[in-house]
Amino acid sequence: MSVTFPSPTPAAPAAPSAGRRRPRVPFKGDPLGRFGLFLLIALVAIGLFGPALPIGSPTESTGDRLAPPGDGHLLGTDELGRALLPRIVEGIRETILIATGVVLVATVVGVLAGCFAALAGRRVDELIVRATDVIFSFPVFLIAILVSVVAGPGRAAAMAAVFAVTLPTMVRVVRAAALPVVERDFVTAAEVAGASRWRLLRVHLLPNVRGVVIGQVAYAISLGMLIEGGMSFLGLGVQAPAASLGSLVGSGRLYLTIDPAYALVPGVVLGLAVLAFNLVGDALRRETDPTLEREA
Amino acid sequence: MSAPVLELDAVRFDYVAGPPWARRRVPALHGVSLAAGRGETVGLVGESGSGKSTIGKLCLGLLRPQQGAVRFDGAPLDRRAQRGRFAVVLQHPQWSLDPRLTVAASIEEPLAISGTGTKASRRAQVEQMLAEVGLDRDFADRYPAELSGGQRQRASVARALITEPRFVLFDEAVSALDVSIQSQILNLIRRLQRQHGFAALFISHDLAATRYAADRIVVMRGGEIVDEGTAASFYEPSTHPYTRALQRASEI
Repeated sequence: MSVTFPSPTPAAPAAPSAGRRRPRVPFKGDPLGRFGLFLLIALVAIGLFGPALPIGSPTESTGDRLAPPGDGHLLGTDELGRALLPRIVEGIRETILIATGVVLVATVVGVLAGCFAALAGRRVDELIVRATDVIFSFPVFLIAILVSVVAGPGRAAAMAAVFAVTLPTMVRVVRAAALPVVERDFVTAAEVAGASRWRLLRVHLLPNVRGVVIGQVAYAISLGMLIEGGMSFLGLGVQAPAASLGSLVGSGRLYLTIDPAYALVPGVVLGLAVLAFNLVGDALRRETDPTLEREA
Repeated sequence: MSAPVLELDAVRFDYVAGPPWARRRVPALHGVSLAAGRGETVGLVGESGSGKSTIGKLCLGLLRPQQGAVRFDGAPLDRRAQRGRFAVVLQHPQWSLDPRLTVAASIEEPLAISGTGTKASRRAQVEQMLAEVGLDRDFADRYPAELSGGQRQRASVARALITEPRFVLFDEAVSALDVSIQSQILNLIRRLQRQHGFAALFISHDLAATRYAADRIVVMRGGEIVDEGTAASFYEPSTHPYTRALQRASEI
């Protein structure tokens, strides 16, 4: 699987004008960003609150096998007669939760490692960069297969694959954003005044790389959803009777000619979720990166 | 000169360059000795790559000499143990203050790092320092983006002096400013030095500014001190050919 990460703005630490930017309305004057945010909120709400809606159980057979949409089942049924709509709702929740949860952990580790690499000097920096190279050098699916062999196919394998891809990227993006900040005069002045590395990290580095990190988190989640989808599609990720968007596309592809909605609807929903996170990521980057603002 | 506040004694420093499997040493300083006494400003001039900024980093404890010694008040320099006793004003007004912090938070930072006083007492000190550098009290709650280059550099001077340091390094501190603002900052530095009596090292490419700010001028080339004299005598014909070249260049 080859996924290209949007290249980060290498030195997107705050420019002076970023000091007081506190937008009251999210993405004001940015229709794409607002559309992405709306889509994202809608999908997250469906994923979280869908099970409370009267749409049936995602695991109980309630109709004929591969029934077409209608007749009490808005999107029809799957090969075991389970209603597709609640399974897609469960898939949204599962896919977003796995990607978001893993990316948040990778973000904490990645931000600390990236900032530490920028702060700690050449040797530690080289060590951390080489470690990310090593993780990068393993194909995602090889890592997933290894985890599957040890722990069996399931969420753990999908999570390991998402972590293996998003962590090194986060480390590199944060390091690239933190390195120019470390060189700034105000950091040198604080260092001369006796500031500890922890203080430099907390007071100067983190606030100045925050914008880059927020944008990167959104991209990483969209990438994580694609990886989870790919893993589950191949049967290495979420296992039945649980469902993720990828596993639903994987099951539905066998019946593409009989019931195209079975594979297409979860596929489209996955695409919309990835689009939503990417649009929000772009909008966040536009809001926090003043160099883009000037170019506009 | 009174007893030196800061002293470099036969300092040698090499940078390490290249990948881990082909490391090589790049000599930057070859046994440099330099001292600055209380109330004295030493100007350091020389071309790019002559070792001026390396001397600055050694004086601040950001680098350690491979040979020789850096002494502060007669004791080996220790940045953590001697914090608050030396400070720096650097080149870029745009990046001299953290854009995410208010001016007050930036100026207060050296006090917060050393745990000096309460929040209220530190705020009072910040307002006093703002007045000393010629900024109104209402600048305290502004962000750097709302200040001009000269105002930011004044705020940087306030941050440097808030702990009453005994040594201040001015590393190209006026190079990025307009000429009219340069003279304001240079006058401010001279006035504050008279008031506070700190020793200073003034690193600059600008010979006229260095001559104005410094009591003594040291000329560097290729990691060595090649000439030295009082600022007043800087335009007298030198015996050293490089100094003569600098003198000719500054007359243009």
